[in-house]
Amino acid sequence: MTAVGVQPSAVGRGDVVLRADGLSKRFGGLLAVQNVSFSQYDGEILAVIGPNGAGKTTLLNLLSGVYRPSSGRLHLLGRDVTQEPMEARCHAGLGRAFQIVRPFPEMTVHENVTVGALFGTRGTTLGQARERAYDLLERTGLAAHADKEAHELTLLQDKRLEVARALATQPRVLLLDEVMAGLRPGEAQEAVGLVRSVRDSGVSVLFIEHIMPVVRDLADRVVVMDQGQVLAEGTYHEVTANPQVVAAYLGTEEGLHA
Amino acid sequence: MSRAMDGGRAVVRRPDVPLRALLPLGLFFLLALVFPFLPLGERSEYLLQIAFFTLVAGVLALSWDILARSGQVSLAHAAFYGLGAYGFALLGKVMPWFLAMPAAALIAGLISLILGAVTMRLSGMYFAIATLAFTEVVRTIIQNLPEATAGGANGLLVPALLGGNARAQYFLAFGILLFTALVSLAIRRSRLHHAFAAIRQGEETARVLGVSVVKYKLLAFFISSFLAALGGVLYAGKTFFINPLETFSLANSIAPLTTSIFGGLYTTLGPILGATVLRVAEEILHNSIKNGYLVVYGLVLMLSILWLPRGLMGLLRRGKHGGDV
Repeated sequence: MTAVGVQPSAVGRGDVVLRADGLSKRFGGLLAVQNVSFSQYDGEILAVIGPNGAGKTTLLNLLSGVYRPSSGRLHLLGRDVTQEPMEARCHAGLGRAFQIVRPFPEMTVHENVTVGALFGTRGTTLGQARERAYDLLERTGLAAHADKEAHELTLLQDKRLEVARALATQPRVLLLDEVMAGLRPGEAQEAVGLVRSVRDSGVSVLFIEHIMPVVRDLADRVVVMDQGQVLAEGTYHEVTANPQVVAAYLGTEEGLHA
Repeated sequence: MSRAMDGGRAVVRRPDVPLRALLPLGLFFLLALVFPFLPLGERSEYLLQIAFFTLVAGVLALSWDILARSGQVSLAHAAFYGLGAYGFALLGKVMPWFLAMPAAALIAGLISLILGAVTMRLSGMYFAIATLAFTEVVRTIIQNLPEATAGGANGLLVPALLGGNARAQYFLAFGILLFTALVSLAIRRSRLHHAFAAIRQGEETARVLGVSVVKYKLLAFFISSFLAALGGVLYAGKTFFINPLETFSLANSIAPLTTSIFGGLYTTLGPILGATVLRVAEEILHNSIKNGYLVVYGLVLMLSILWLPRGLMGLLRRGKHGGDV
């Protein structure tokens, strides 16, 4: 598997951009996320995987600020953002694309991205935001659709829009929630290329994914979650060889590679 | 399809509000400006009064629409209209009208921030009910102020605006509607437009993209209520007698909503056009069907909302998006 092309040990051991310390989230009697700690390094593509109900999406919501943790801390670029609301985390350099695409329905594709560019970084004028939005549409292959409404796009284009809009906020860390879901294999390959180009532009990427070949192709490092806890952490090959991980995925090698 | 042709960087440079889209709006204000000079005959006094209240209805509807653009469908407009009316009546006793007017509007704007803060996390029906309750609270407070100053339930005399000169009053109302329209257009061309639209179309997504939702929602409340209060000042200064029941009536909260929907939501021209057509229609129906004109009026409104999902603006503008004024 040379798809990544870089030895994991050599990848991105630079500064820590995102650090979770003992994050927990309780919903009534359910401990959805339990004492989760990990670090993400600058320029790294980090995958979070795990069976359904492992707490991946809850973790992502804790990172982006949809939920406040019941306990634990979160640092973004060295700054404690545990109690910061979503918009402040965005300004601090955190971007997020949603699993279920959420374009603003009454806006054009270009206007959608303009919102991210205008409000994602302080001091951006409307003119600058429009320019940057168009640059991003070119980068994500949507320039020809700039004037369309979001509902006229295909699913792949919608996902590109979701990523373009998040990138417009000029994040240092981008959270991707199962962006490959619903894509055909060919489309997924295109999306993989898009995520790589995002990383190559200097943005660290944390993504949740179910499709294991995508994880194998993209991730520098993998965090495996099960029942709200971190089960294992390491390269794709390390974690897939871990018997505990295999057991968590229905106890079969097949479960993992399905 | 044709839009895809002019694609490329043109998308970036294209103005938010093309000049030709402003044409109908300019035409409206031109007509409104010359209206008092038309040979209106012996009914001119009556017609000028109708025209005055049409302008006030326009201020009320357009100011409501500005708040609605941020996703806040309020039933508290009567509260701010009434606060403007009462603020003007009380302040007018201690300062000249041209100071009492903005002061009353400012007070209404500041009070709206309280409502905005309280309803920040509410949406849809819950938000609407909370704003409705707020109107009742304000009405009750006004009604229970010392009777010697605020008139209690019986009401209050208001110094007539501009010495009761109907034509001067008309031009003041014209000026305030023009001001409201200019504010609306300025919003359309600014970052506020993008913030409001994003919050309306997906509040959580807007926050993830860095939109300071609290700030923009409160700003929408302040601007909207300030303008609505100016409408209330016009009302109070024209009728020179106000009472809580009429001033804070539910009708004053519902009218701007129906007017904006009928005219075309989230536009500048729509609510103004809606106010004009509905006021004139109401007047004609009132004069031709003495009894039950409201039934016909309601039916006309219902059918037009059914057939014109984007209001009168949908007729004017067949395009799917963009450039709406």
